[in-house]
Amino acid sequence: MRSCPPRVVFRWACSIAVLLWAAAAPALAQVKLTFDKRPAFKVGNLLTAAIRFKSQVDFRDFPDEPETPSKPVVDLPRTRIGVEGRLIKELEYQIEAELSDASKPWRDIYIQTRSFRVAQVRAGQFKIPFSLEQLTSSMDLDFNYRSLAASFLAPGRDVGFMAFGRTFKDTLRYQVGVFKHGGDNVRESERTDAQADRTYAARLVVRPWNTYDNLFRTLSAGVGFTTGVLPAGPNGVRGKTIPGDTFFQHLFVNGHRRRIGGEFQWRPGPFQLQSEYIEVRDQRFGQGIDNQDLPNAFARGWYVSGMWLLTGGQIRDSIAPDRPFLRGGIGAIEIGVRRERLAAWSPGVNDGSFSSPRAPWVMPRADDVWTAGVNWFWNPFVKLVANVIHERRTEDGRVLVSQGNLWSQVFRVQLGF
Amino acid sequence: MRSCTPPALIAAALVVALCLVAGRPLVAQTPIDSLLDGNSLEDLWVHLNQRDWEDLHTHFQDNTYYPADVEWRGTRVRNAAIRVRGVASRNGHKPSFRLDFNRYVTGQTFFGLDALTLDSSWQDPSMITNRLSMLLFRQMGIAAPRVAHVRLFAGAAREYVGVYAVTEEVVESFLRDRFGEDTGYLYEFNHIENDNWGFQDPGPPLGWYVPRFSPKTHEFDSVANLYMPIRDLVQRINDAPQSDLESRLGGYLDVNAFITQLAIQNFVAQSDGLVGGVGANNFYLYRFAGKNLFALIPWDQGNAFTASDLPPSYDMNTNVLALKIWNEPKYRAQYLATLLQIADLVSTDGFLLAEAQRDYQQIRDAVYADAFSPYTLAQFEEIHATVQEFIRTRPDIVRQYVAAMQ
Repeated sequence: MRSCPPRVVFRWACSIAVLLWAAAAPALAQVKLTFDKRPAFKVGNLLTAAIRFKSQVDFRDFPDEPETPSKPVVDLPRTRIGVEGRLIKELEYQIEAELSDASKPWRDIYIQTRSFRVAQVRAGQFKIPFSLEQLTSSMDLDFNYRSLAASFLAPGRDVGFMAFGRTFKDTLRYQVGVFKHGGDNVRESERTDAQADRTYAARLVVRPWNTYDNLFRTLSAGVGFTTGVLPAGPNGVRGKTIPGDTFFQHLFVNGHRRRIGGEFQWRPGPFQLQSEYIEVRDQRFGQGIDNQDLPNAFARGWYVSGMWLLTGGQIRDSIAPDRPFLRGGIGAIEIGVRRERLAAWSPGVNDGSFSSPRAPWVMPRADDVWTAGVNWFWNPFVKLVANVIHERRTEDGRVLVSQGNLWSQVFRVQLGF
Repeated sequence: MRSCTPPALIAAALVVALCLVAGRPLVAQTPIDSLLDGNSLEDLWVHLNQRDWEDLHTHFQDNTYYPADVEWRGTRVRNAAIRVRGVASRNGHKPSFRLDFNRYVTGQTFFGLDALTLDSSWQDPSMITNRLSMLLFRQMGIAAPRVAHVRLFAGAAREYVGVYAVTEEVVESFLRDRFGEDTGYLYEFNHIENDNWGFQDPGPPLGWYVPRFSPKTHEFDSVANLYMPIRDLVQRINDAPQSDLESRLGGYLDVNAFITQLAIQNFVAQSDGLVGGVGANNFYLYRFAGKNLFALIPWDQGNAFTASDLPPSYDMNTNVLALKIWNEPKYRAQYLATLLQIADLVSTDGFLLAEAQRDYQQIRDAVYADAFSPYTLAQFEEIHATVQEFIRTRPDIVRQYVAAMQ
């Protein structure tokens, strides 16, 4: 029997909320409404709730691709509303829904412990702990789009349970979790197929100079790992270009999927240097045309990005300008550049069967991308992002005809609190 | 320019003379001709994963493609794609298939063909009526697909899965072969249930045409580019006076070819073609590159060769253009003359009967061994007797009808 995990989690969360609300009734007299960065209310020491809203509108100019429909100029990638806060001091929760996604609106729905920062636990639907950029909020990205590696190779959200914490004066952070399936970055069939098994994930980040007051205090490096069982079928990872056209398809897979990743981040003053490497290996037992085992399929992605906050100050996860635009200042301006690559292949020799999703030898395909961008933070709520993107797509090391010099421009207006 | 030496000229003349004496065409036979000419019952082996084979039967309503290799006469073409096809005949017991050879490899062909269909003849117990119809179309000069029969084998274990009619699909390779070009606009007509459309003008909105004409080339062109020319054609057909169809439709549709197609379909009593109780059906539309000229290409003419007493005026009122032709004396005369021409073609030397008998002999044993056929062997024998009787009697019946009309 098929289950609907987000719905189950949502019902579960709603039930808890109703119970708590009922328990909070005697304390209603202590309700306090505030509007600092966002609308929020507090019911004594029992409950806090802050409304979150995220909205992004993109104006895009993508190159025309052969045999694909042209993309609309205006796109609304996110319109989300949510609520987050505390329960009885010891618990934190978050609920978020995407308004433009009628079929699967629920994003984060989880509850977690607050105390004992060395060992916290989280349960519900949330992002599987893998990939620094995938775990970064969409409102805090350095560029309009996540890197291709984080977008297509990281697992995304799923229903699960995670232990996490920080220790040794925050020089060591860890996340270890078990999840029902393989995340929402995989095909629907993989999430609902009765054969789909649990996915295990772990992430470890060290900040060796965190306790020192020197240039390297913000330097962090980490590794990540996931493993899970794939159901037989066309469930391999797929890669898309920046405009969203598939450039390597789902391969037929069967066996285990394993991800390994490495990450690096350093924020010396107004600068930021960030990089990630992700590799995915899918097994393909019995997936040949003649039912034979096929060599593992691999996908690999990496990026290196540099940012510079021109208006001074220090780069943080969320940048709030000291002097907001139209209120005596110009806001905050940040510029940056990113170099990235996403590729897929399988080992072996070219036997001519390179393009079918059951091919023994998968021809190496890659998308090499440069992105240059300007971020203009008007205030804590409004951000404008302009990106110019250059792509070059190759197959077996050769540049594909008319795809060696593709330019895209994207301008984003972002509003959130 | 190179000059030819006398010995070379003599040699060339000898070759031409030999060919003429032998009565063979000068055009060389290509390998695919051996598959599609129907001279022998060929074996075709589709290699595909066991799970995909099961999925094709379980999820037969889906148009999901699965990777496959196709082997014929020891040559294995890799990286093809296979899916279930069909509308009313779609089934999970003995599904019909579409083989696409350039879905995974751009430009790949199967001995020159971009795609093939493997028709299980689910609605035709004889399995040969579509082939006979297409043969008549081609004999009468209409661009129509070639059809032959194969014994189909599937999977790594080479399981025999029955007799199939292999048909060259109306795609770019077909266009290149028949029209010498493939850069025009090709559409497959989709019959919509209870629509009964027979070229009547639906009005200006282009959206009406979208679900009915699926583009097979230029799929991502704008709706205006794709459908304005079809709308213009339909409006011209409706506006043209019946007395002057040729000049008013000149540059848009070959009226003579339309009359020929109509006559063939009525001769073979095809009840699901350009005319019929449910409206027009089973055709492709091709607009030549850089022109407004369209060609109608017949498809799936298997619903024929049974009602031998069908009159030549049958259902002409279901199609605007057919009705104009029927109501205008000069075009009606041309239509009736074409019917007589077809009757002569069919009865001359027993041409079509010989084809039907050969087809029967060719597939009989394979059909008897076909565990997936939806028909009993008695039904198979009975329908073949009916088809052969149709071919024997239909020319004279048509001649009598025509004589009564004139």
